[in-house]
Amino acid sequence: MLSFVVRRIITTIPVMAFVALFVFSLLYIAPGDPAAIIAGDQASPADVERIRASLGLDRPYLVRFAEWSFRVIQGDLGTSIFTNLPVTQLIAQRIEPTLSLMVLTLIFAVVVAVPMGVVAAWKAGSWVDKAAMGFAVLGFSVPVFVVGYLLAYLFALKLDWLPVQGYTPIAQGFWPWLRNLILPAVTLGLVYIALIARITRATMLEVLQQDYVRTAQAKGVAQKDVLFLHSLKNAAVPIVTIIGIGIALLIGGAVVTESVFAIPGLGRLTVDAILRRDYPVIQGVVLMFSLVYVLVNLLIDLTYTLVDPRIRY
Amino acid sequence: MTAQSTPATVAAPATEPVKAELSRAARFRRYLRRHPSVAVGGGLLILMALIGIFAPLLWTTDPTAISPSRRTRVPSELYWFGTDMLGRDVYSRVIYGARVSLLVGFSVAVLASVIGLAIGLFAGFIRWADGIIMRIIDGMMSIPPILLAIALMALTRGSIQNVIIAITVAEIPRVARLVRGVVLSLREQPYVEAAVANGARVPRIIFRHILPNTFAPMSVQATYICASAMIVEAILSFIGAGVPPATPSWGNIMAEGRALWQVRPHIILFPAVFLSITVLAVNLLGDGLRDSLDPRLAKTL
Repeated sequence: MLSFVVRRIITTIPVMAFVALFVFSLLYIAPGDPAAIIAGDQASPADVERIRASLGLDRPYLVRFAEWSFRVIQGDLGTSIFTNLPVTQLIAQRIEPTLSLMVLTLIFAVVVAVPMGVVAAWKAGSWVDKAAMGFAVLGFSVPVFVVGYLLAYLFALKLDWLPVQGYTPIAQGFWPWLRNLILPAVTLGLVYIALIARITRATMLEVLQQDYVRTAQAKGVAQKDVLFLHSLKNAAVPIVTIIGIGIALLIGGAVVTESVFAIPGLGRLTVDAILRRDYPVIQGVVLMFSLVYVLVNLLIDLTYTLVDPRIRY
Repeated sequence: MTAQSTPATVAAPATEPVKAELSRAARFRRYLRRHPSVAVGGGLLILMALIGIFAPLLWTTDPTAISPSRRTRVPSELYWFGTDMLGRDVYSRVIYGARVSLLVGFSVAVLASVIGLAIGLFAGFIRWADGIIMRIIDGMMSIPPILLAIALMALTRGSIQNVIIAITVAEIPRVARLVRGVVLSLREQPYVEAAVANGARVPRIIFRHILPNTFAPMSVQATYICASAMIVEAILSFIGAGVPPATPSWGNIMAEGRALWQVRPHIILFPAVFLSITVLAVNLLGDGLRDSLDPRLAKTL
């Protein structure tokens, strides 16, 4: 087990190294000369050269990559061109709304999608199943921002049940925080629900054909226990895996959802950075999101043994 | 008598090919009846393609013509879908927008499939390259696709071509990984081993025995890539990192409608409906293809 954990952690190193190389190259080939920008309009070519040398921008690609990586490992993601603030500080300021949104969406989606998939598999072929799977196809087809505007129009503008836009920090109370996040979380959760429900149904259909399920039913175990204890536990590994892989959807969707609902999170930071061509910020956000994604999936891999004791390494 | 029998005898041989033709058409009709999602999805997609192709004939005006005197009109007999903040006719923009979405969707599906197929075949066959290619693919897949496309778009100026390239790069790893998996399982098949034992060279094995077997999973995958590419294009345009704002694309129209969505929701609504229907059509087609190509999967997914 320990050797597996170590091996699995080691395999993420080349992956992260590639991501780092990609993200670094992004800044390297980005249009615009940082030295010229810092020197300003009045500077002579000699001044630009001096600044370039003092920043180390005249050194070879791989040397600069090594230096940059070393700084990143120390937690220095550079400085924003637009605001002149450290990128890590900008990210830290914006992390709470995004984290809140993603965690809430994750909980909401799993709570809705897993029972939906289980019931769809149990009643395979019935109208419940058809409705659930039809909903899943819709969830894949309607873009996140379309869902966002529809929900906001209906529940915020017309019915006036929930705030239209904005974000309230959790420090100002749980209910105001939650009220602002309900619509964004439902919006962002739709694709995720579609994905999880489909995989849950597919896996459950296979499990429900197993002998031990028939045995459980024959000896009179309550149907809900057969479904949610005997079967779901055995279907857990693919479901947990897709929840991890689907985090990529959440990250991409968060960028859009935050724009629709005017949430001042990392997604907004990314969109603003693109519009201003603020490459260090784009770099930092991509690097951080990828790291989170890799780590979440690493953790999920490591929990397989908890989910399914038959798996031994 | 002779006058009556002569046409009959003449007609008899002629009915033979007609019959065969009919039965092929009938087979196609039966296929569509058995797989209604292929019929519905394919039909809607053809309709959208026709709308895009014949956009100038569908009572549209110049989709880029700005007219300050008729800004933000609500839908009326004159402006079916209303006008936007610059006074452009939303109906014309939405109809022309079909071109951008379909162009991006199909281009990305074809490009990502071909390049991914090549990479997947290479990785599946050349053992020493497999490890390196798979690590690179793992790395690319650990960057969420939309972020990857956003990052690439940030480097270049917005144009349809650059959007296609950015989304293609973001989609390639998934195709390559799928093809590699198919290749690795096919390599173990007895008929491939037999071909190897007969002394067939690698190119012949790839083109005769492996490639044809990747077409079924690839065609299904290509439809899903097409759907995802259309959504990503709309998202990129929506956040201002996609095709140039003047170009009528569904994402752009919605981006322009953003500022006014509380008072003029129709500017977002119409392109949203068109985009959703198109993506739904592609997804239905993909699901139908998957079910008909792999009946075993049809029961589960």
